[in-house]
Amino acid sequence: MTTNKQTIPPAEQPIAVSKRVSLPEDSFEVSSERFRIRTRRDVLIFGASALAALTAGTVLLPDETLQRLGVHRKLHPPGKDWLLDKAIDIDDDVAEALYSSNRRVPTYSKSQVTGLKNNYNGVTPGPDYIPTWTLTLSGLQSGLTLSLDLRTLLKRFALHEEITRFVCVEGWSEIAWWGGIRFADLLQAFPPVSQAKWARIESSVNLDANGNSDPYYVSLDIESAAHPQSLLATHFHGDSLTLEHGAPLRLIIPVKLGLKNVKAVTGITFLADQPEDYWRVRGYSRFDGI
Amino acid sequence: MRLLSVPSSTGPASSSSVAVVRVQRKHHILVRWAHWTTIPLLLGLILSGISIYWSAPIFQHPTDATGNFDRAADIGIWLCAHVPGLHHYSTPPDWLYNHLSLGPGMLGVALRLHWFCAYLFMANGLLYLLGLALGGGWRALIPQRDDVVAGMRMIRYYSLAPFAFVLRRPLVHPMHSGKYNALQKAAYASVVIAGVLVVLSGWAIHKPMQLHWVAAAFGGYNAARVWHFCLMCFFILFVVPHVVLVLADGWDTLRSMITGWSLRTRNSSGGTP
Repeated sequence: MTTNKQTIPPAEQPIAVSKRVSLPEDSFEVSSERFRIRTRRDVLIFGASALAALTAGTVLLPDETLQRLGVHRKLHPPGKDWLLDKAIDIDDDVAEALYSSNRRVPTYSKSQVTGLKNNYNGVTPGPDYIPTWTLTLSGLQSGLTLSLDLRTLLKRFALHEEITRFVCVEGWSEIAWWGGIRFADLLQAFPPVSQAKWARIESSVNLDANGNSDPYYVSLDIESAAHPQSLLATHFHGDSLTLEHGAPLRLIIPVKLGLKNVKAVTGITFLADQPEDYWRVRGYSRFDGI
Repeated sequence: MRLLSVPSSTGPASSSSVAVVRVQRKHHILVRWAHWTTIPLLLGLILSGISIYWSAPIFQHPTDATGNFDRAADIGIWLCAHVPGLHHYSTPPDWLYNHLSLGPGMLGVALRLHWFCAYLFMANGLLYLLGLALGGGWRALIPQRDDVVAGMRMIRYYSLAPFAFVLRRPLVHPMHSGKYNALQKAAYASVVIAGVLVVLSGWAIHKPMQLHWVAAAFGGYNAARVWHFCLMCFFILFVVPHVVLVLADGWDTLRSMITGWSLRTRNSSGGTP
């Protein structure tokens, strides 16, 4: 058979030339050898990538989830936290880029107001701190540290009302009616040092579920604080703030997640660099613009 | 496969006869890349997404005697009460979250993983669209006038196929001219649209103030959360028949998503999956 085949002269042109014209342009002929080699190569690459992805995916899962899946060894390569921190940092940068001081958040009518639950799982302090409550401002251009009581604040600044959506990081949201002084007015009356871009906000609501000390503090960018809808609220649904909603004065900043809306604000410090944040050290993001 | 003689430049004439196959270029490399990488990303998004859902369920009922208001917890409670072997499960309300998410009470880690996967998912989606454009694959997804009738024929075919298989009766696959049959076209086109919608509804939930017009387009913040949830369900519902049909269809179809090449050329008879 082979000798017979040898006698056939090689064709000058491939046989399929005329056929090829009628076929779709993305169909073509290859030797089955080449097809086999390419298939084997690609399937091997695919299998190796799938294994790598499975490993990487498993490593990225939280330890608690892995334990549930029966993996009891702690998988903590050095890059794991870095990578996931990077993701929330990028997300925070996106939030910062999306923010515009000219963009107002939607407002609602009084008939659209819903209740607002007290979502704090620590102990709300008793009313004892209220008579001696003051708001302490530091990092001011004047170089002074000021302590302002509620009467001074309400006498000096105009009261504004707004009905806005309060959005929690957990996913729920409520529409609430607030009254208070504008943060922007406070910034104008007591300008921060010129290089300040951030504020550290502190609170009197400082107890965990067992009544132990658990200081609450957040970082806030001054640009968001200066938004015309950012309030230092003293009123809720037409009445004075109750203890559970942060009496006597709380931050209401609808361009941020609820966790930045600090209750019973006691101190605002203006800083050049972003300060630490209660939630950031617990693995959450820290800019939280929404 | 057939034998084709080609002129040989190197060896003697004996090596000039080689076996040849006709190959159809089926999926652009970017489409293949995006197809496979979507699997771990979507899985990560669903697992972390259900963990995020746990902290504020959308589907609620008034708080009952046990203090529960979450319908997903109800499902877990029901399963543990009725499914043999689950009667001694320690935390029935958490059953669903323990099996379909990273776990309950893990909002912080779930959010980190969700953003990580979400940004990669969006980048991947762009690569997929680029691959559709470069490979011309988009043409196969554009609906045509006769798709409705052809779709009906395909539904009839798929409903009869298991019986025909069991009874060993021949069943002719409806003809179609393009890359996909009408049902495939509908499924693959809608999965692209669902991908776009799931990203948009995600942004609506994530930035309801700066992007309040996106939230408004979905019917508001709370409605956008329902959209996002239902789109996740759509992806899960898509995957089941997708995998079943690919396995039923055979190695050529699966191989074409790995190597990009199919041995079924388009002008050959119908049944091109």
